[in-house]
Amino acid sequence: MNTRMSLYVLPAITTLTLLFSANCLAGKPLTVYTVNYPLAYFSERIGGEFVDVVFPAPADVDPAFWTPDEETIGGYQKADLIIINGAGYAKWTQKVSLPLMRQVNTSKSFKDEYISIEMNVTHRHGPEGDHSHAGTAFTTWLDLSLASRQAEAIYKALSRKLMDQKSIVQKNFEALIADLLHLDEQLQDLSDKKPALPLLGSHPIYQYLARGYGLNISMVMWEPDEDPGEQQWRNLQTLVEDHATSWMLWEDSPRPESVKRLEEMGIKSLVYSPCFNRPDEGDFLTVMQQNVDNLSVVFSGAD
Amino acid sequence: MDSLYLAWRYLCFYKVRSFILIGCITVIAALPLALEILVNESERQLSLRAESTPLLIGAKGSALDLVMNSLYFSDASPEPITMAAVDQILESDLASPIPLLIRYRSRTFPIVGTTLDYLDFRQLEIKSGNPFSLLGQCLVGAEIARQLDLGPGDHLTSSPEAMFDIAGVYPLKMRISGVLAETNSADDRAVFVDIRTAWIISGLGHGHTDLAKSTDESVILKREAGQVTANAKLMQYNEITEDNIDRFHLHGDPVTFPITAVLALPHDEKSGTILQGRYLDQDSNYQIVTPAKVVDSLLANIFRIRNVLDAVILMVGTATLMALVLVFSLSLRLRSKEMETIFKIGSSRATISRLLGAEITIIGCLSGLLCLIIMLLLNHYDVELVRRLFI
Repeated sequence: MNTRMSLYVLPAITTLTLLFSANCLAGKPLTVYTVNYPLAYFSERIGGEFVDVVFPAPADVDPAFWTPDEETIGGYQKADLIIINGAGYAKWTQKVSLPLMRQVNTSKSFKDEYISIEMNVTHRHGPEGDHSHAGTAFTTWLDLSLASRQAEAIYKALSRKLMDQKSIVQKNFEALIADLLHLDEQLQDLSDKKPALPLLGSHPIYQYLARGYGLNISMVMWEPDEDPGEQQWRNLQTLVEDHATSWMLWEDSPRPESVKRLEEMGIKSLVYSPCFNRPDEGDFLTVMQQNVDNLSVVFSGAD
Repeated sequence: MDSLYLAWRYLCFYKVRSFILIGCITVIAALPLALEILVNESERQLSLRAESTPLLIGAKGSALDLVMNSLYFSDASPEPITMAAVDQILESDLASPIPLLIRYRSRTFPIVGTTLDYLDFRQLEIKSGNPFSLLGQCLVGAEIARQLDLGPGDHLTSSPEAMFDIAGVYPLKMRISGVLAETNSADDRAVFVDIRTAWIISGLGHGHTDLAKSTDESVILKREAGQVTANAKLMQYNEITEDNIDRFHLHGDPVTFPITAVLALPHDEKSGTILQGRYLDQDSNYQIVTPAKVVDSLLANIFRIRNVLDAVILMVGTATLMALVLVFSLSLRLRSKEMETIFKIGSSRATISRLLGAEITIIGCLSGLLCLIIMLLLNHYDVELVRRLFI
């Protein structure tokens, strides 16, 4: 009986001990806080099981204009890494105290390529109040070549912290870059078919997309879920007289009324989501792929 | 025992003379010992803090001023440098930088503008409350909290630089977010704020009503397309609250904003050496110092001065002892009739010698006791004394 027990008990104890030791050796995952979903996605892809990524902005709020409460700020302060977009994104980061040494400004490597915005119009929507897009354009990740540089900044920061898992982190990073550059290639191929095709953007968030892929996008300041008002419709009429276009890009599904009125003007609508926040279904890549698919209709001659 | 009793009664009768004698001997004995304790404690405190600080970068000039201001928050501020120095270190990837702006005061306490990394670097723990999270908040050292009876939720106001500076900066009322645990270092007497709060105190940032929406035309100097210019009547907020924090802004590029020093924490020894090499250029506007070396140099000077002081004390002590001997011998001469009386009533010369010996012994013991009490007190309060008097 003793021999039989030892046949089962000893290996079980050994296995448990090994598992426990492995767990201890592996250590707690790094806590990584980000200011928007694309950066959270990159961090999750690169860090894998070795990171615990937190993106605390509510799902129904634009993270660019969100302000966390003090408790959430405390979470950012305690994080092992704080992933910042840069280019003036998330202005709340300028009004709070975050440890400098644990911050990663993912767009710092191309800060000379930031796009300035001349427009200085405020617009009110939702509970956040007025916001303005004056200053610097911040949707850098919509140019997927820049997104890959942002991912690289995250990779460098994570690999410094996860020295023992560097090879795995590197493999993850390379896989992510391959996916991003594949999308980048698709967009480049699309825009090459009809260079400088005039397009409209419903919100001033497509600057890097336009520059990165040579798209000729004129932008207004509309919200997909709001009536822009008669003045804005008149302004649009004036705009399309100089910028004749058949397509408007929306950051989310627009109101049917707006779609119908645009169609009366000969303008069709398509969704090109900046994916600020975590989507209800899929992830950043699936959203960007959907964007590319939506845009392909424009360039495939089906206008 | 009789001798001791008589000697004691004699000394009590001549109280003033006895106190003077005891005082002189106590001072001679205690002075060099006290100096030793205070100098040793100064050395310990200065060295400890300096050794824990790898590298310091500041404007070219006095390395001692740079170290004393950055590590011990002394009044003399070095020439400012800019945040560009911080960016330079970040880009080098050789060290982690912690900016410092130590120029302003709240009452007599220094305001240290920095980042939260400073708390991690100095391993400062929060005794109550939280670290500063929003602009306009501050973290106070243990001694400030004790002295002014302050805690989280209370307020502290920055002092104007010049009392009659009519073009100067409005004082900023800061909310205390937390109190640090005692560290027995200069951090106990400092007010810590975010570097951007320090810039607001310096006038590089401020908050006011939205001029674009203002209906008070008396504050508007002119309106142009896309730009509104206000006049000096525009009231600026002197406290940052959750309601008005969005109205606060900095004017200018933060890269050009001033700091007094950068604490550089090299990633490893090799990185530290390379970093130091980059600042050796004569044309550079910066200097890089190793605080431990600067403090060692300062201590070497202190030791030289101490040796001189020791020699002076020795000479003064010797002179005092000779004076005391003179006092005793003169006293004996003055007491000759008294001694004669004692001898005539039956005491032997040995008894008279014992009497005098007892007087000297009692004086010596009392001086020794006083000296011991002084040394014990000094040992107990040496940390505090050195911080207040010397550092």
